[in-house]
Amino acid sequence: MKIFVIGAGQVGSTIVEALHGEHNLTVLDLDPGRLTPLAYRYDVATIEANGASRRALADAGVRDADLVIACTSRDEANLVAATFARIEAPRATTVIRTSNIEYIELWREGRLDVDFVVSSEVETAHAITRVIGVPAALQTDVFANGQVQMVEYEVTDLSSPDVLGKPLRKSGVIPRDSRVVSKIRGDAMTIPNGDTVINAGDRLVVVGSPEAAQAWGELLSPGEGAVEDVVVFGGGQVGVAIARQLLEQRIGVRLIEPDRERARRIAEDLPDARVYQATGLDPDFLERERIGQAQAAVFAMREDSKNHYAATLARVHGVDFTIAIVHDPIAREVYAYSGVDVTVNPRQVTAEEIVRFAHDPRTQQVAMIENDRFEVLDITTSPSSEYVGLKFRDMPIRGAVIGAIVRDGKAVFPHSDDVLEAGDRVIVFTESSRVAAVERVL
Amino acid sequence: MTGSTATRKTVLRRRQGVEFRGALGLTGTLTKYLSVAVLFPTALAIGYREPFWPFLAAGAIIALVGLGLERIGRDAPPIGFREGFFVVAVTWLFAAALGALPYLLSGDPQLDRPVDAYFEAMSGFTTTGSSVLTDIPALDQSMLMWRQFTQWLGGMGIIVLALAVLPRLRVGGRQLLESEMPGPEVDNLADRIRSTAQRLWLLYIALTAAQALILAIFGWTGIDDRMDLFNAVAHAFTTLPTGGFSPEGRSVEPFSAASQWVIVIFMTFAGMNFALLYRVLVRRRARVAIRDEEARLYLTILVAMSLLLAMELWHKGIEGGEAAFRHATFQVVSMMTTTGYASTDFIVWPAFALMILIGVMFIGGSAGSTGGAIKVVRHLLMGKVLRRELRQTLHPEVVMPIRLNGVVVDERTLRAITAFVLLYVGFFAVGAGLIALDSAFQGPPMSAFDAIAAAASTLGNVGPGLGFAGPMGSFEPFSDFSTVVMIALMWLGRLEIVPVVVLLTRSYWRV
Repeated sequence: MKIFVIGAGQVGSTIVEALHGEHNLTVLDLDPGRLTPLAYRYDVATIEANGASRRALADAGVRDADLVIACTSRDEANLVAATFARIEAPRATTVIRTSNIEYIELWREGRLDVDFVVSSEVETAHAITRVIGVPAALQTDVFANGQVQMVEYEVTDLSSPDVLGKPLRKSGVIPRDSRVVSKIRGDAMTIPNGDTVINAGDRLVVVGSPEAAQAWGELLSPGEGAVEDVVVFGGGQVGVAIARQLLEQRIGVRLIEPDRERARRIAEDLPDARVYQATGLDPDFLERERIGQAQAAVFAMREDSKNHYAATLARVHGVDFTIAIVHDPIAREVYAYSGVDVTVNPRQVTAEEIVRFAHDPRTQQVAMIENDRFEVLDITTSPSSEYVGLKFRDMPIRGAVIGAIVRDGKAVFPHSDDVLEAGDRVIVFTESSRVAAVERVL
Repeated sequence: MTGSTATRKTVLRRRQGVEFRGALGLTGTLTKYLSVAVLFPTALAIGYREPFWPFLAAGAIIALVGLGLERIGRDAPPIGFREGFFVVAVTWLFAAALGALPYLLSGDPQLDRPVDAYFEAMSGFTTTGSSVLTDIPALDQSMLMWRQFTQWLGGMGIIVLALAVLPRLRVGGRQLLESEMPGPEVDNLADRIRSTAQRLWLLYIALTAAQALILAIFGWTGIDDRMDLFNAVAHAFTTLPTGGFSPEGRSVEPFSAASQWVIVIFMTFAGMNFALLYRVLVRRRARVAIRDEEARLYLTILVAMSLLLAMELWHKGIEGGEAAFRHATFQVVSMMTTTGYASTDFIVWPAFALMILIGVMFIGGSAGSTGGAIKVVRHLLMGKVLRRELRQTLHPEVVMPIRLNGVVVDERTLRAITAFVLLYVGFFAVGAGLIALDSAFQGPPMSAFDAIAAAASTLGNVGPGLGFAGPMGSFEPFSDFSTVVMIALMWLGRLEIVPVVVLLTRSYWRV
């Protein structure tokens, strides 16, 4: 597939990283300093040009493109670029990144001439609310309208003795509607079978029903009940999007925003949230408002350093579960080092969402795990697939695992005697390098 | 280059602060139309074969004064925001003065003193309903109807009426409308202020006609043998504006239970926001009223207070059965909507019952109704402000915008409401104090409770007080000084204090 990526910032680079292996990429950006590293690292064409210029797009050969991704940090530039691409390459699929809710609404009403609209804020908020919904989760994603959930868990010393140190088949408490599709320890990944033993320090990727995901959370991290009180630090666009989604799930939100006007506007927009006009870095304030009692705290401020300090301070005050927004990729390690439980990179989740459109049209949704080392695909099986008609116990294992299938709109969590049928949607876990192969076989 | 010189002059003259002549001119335009209103009692007087010349003479004087004032304002520079307050405040003073002319000219011994006539007229236009008359039925039929008619004109507002009828006032009309309409904000029913004013007046006329018709039918069918067409129209004229004048000596006591219930229903309507009523009755959106926070609170208070009072009456054995319930509801609705009718002489009721009635006098009707006093919505918002204050004592950093029907209320509006309530209570206290002081010096003797009731009743545009000024009594015994104090209170109360008090500030008159 020939793909145009307009904008080589963090989102653009992540997209290039995910797609360069299987597709022909052309990257446009005005800043040569961003293009050069990409050109050296990957086999992609880089052009120093303005993507929001019709002539530049035509000169770059956009008419042959199958997919045009406009992912600069400027909403209007993306919109213009996608409009020109539509004129120059009427058959290409267009995807734009935007943070403007109005554009998303317009697109939903079908009044915006682009095929897909992806918003960093909305995707980030999704990622965070999913994590908060499942205790002990490092990362989660949902498939088939929420019937199937993929969760990455961390196994700790506190996990239930019913699973620790035991082979999977010996443990009688594993939720039925679920499958462990991967065990990751350090850099090593194993596809588990019944004899695989789970130890503290492992990370497990589980595909299952939402109830099973909840049950796994209870097993691996006992005593963390449903979340009712979340404190969001920072009332920027991301913070507000997170608060809004949590409120929609009937989770209580307290939001801290230092700017008076901004705090007031948020309080007007979100009547159900409790909004504080404060920095969140004042120990007296944290004490007085019992921030330590919150079940989770999300740090969505603009600076990594502030998020880091605030998260550490919140931990000092007794918040058990901390989730931080990462702006600089390296910050992820800094956070992990100081004990922040989950980190979410808005640019990465955006890239993830966009990468979905580059897959086989049968592939409906993609999740990335461990910095895109692994992916979870949602593929509809074709009648010619060699796997169709096989029992699950007889399938050859080639570095990919089917975690669930969706048949007639209903999720099924397959056991060894079940048979794969043509037209089933399958939720497959695999290494990123094998995605194309998996798509081919199914 | 004469044009630039003229502009220059205008600029210089504007530095006076207030454009007097233009404001007086507009006042004249507004008041001169009262002479048309006088034609109605004139026709009645001719029909009833009563002396009609007091009305004709009054009409002529009103027209002359109005035209004279209008002349002063001719060629004056156009008036602006600042002059609006002056126009509203002074128009009401003039209207009451001119409306008192028929009383004075009739030579009736009860109203032959200018202070008394002015009180009666001010009480009429401000829809208060207090009266200095001691023998009401002694007046001519036409004069009685003029009394009723002044309340009907004042209820929806003489300026709102002018806005609806006169094309000239369109520009700058919104400010005049806002100063005259009760409540913090005016609900727009149409793009143009003139259409809004027209719709409000049409609804007002329709409701008045409906009530008159129902009462008249009661009279014709014998359901109420005391009710005739004259009484039906007279009471409809003073129910919808929450006025409270009655041509009967003992208010609505002589009428049948059915008529009293009908009056209760129309008083309840009159105390509601007319813009809301318009949406419910004309555009048939009943849900609007159910969702409206103010309407809900208004009806809840009415029902709760009526039940409480009914229990007290029943408990003390004053009334029983339907009568206890009817009298309780009637008095609560009448006092809270600031109408001021009475279905029974409640001054003999126990202290707790009177406390309820005095209490609801301070609540008042809804914003945008014809009722007076503080208004339900202001209490509602003040309650929300207090709740926020208490919450912020515990959580100083919490940001809590205040909402009304889900819409955030501007902090400036909240401050204005706080200021209004403080001014209201302040003027009430000063008024009650002056009346009590006056009573100590020159009589008549009264209890503190009576002085409080008189001040609350006139400032809230309710009508009856307690003691000798009770619903079946008269304000006649008050000294002239107290009468003037109460005239001022009625004027302040009708215009919701601020447009009047603004005129008394120094910064108003300065550039």
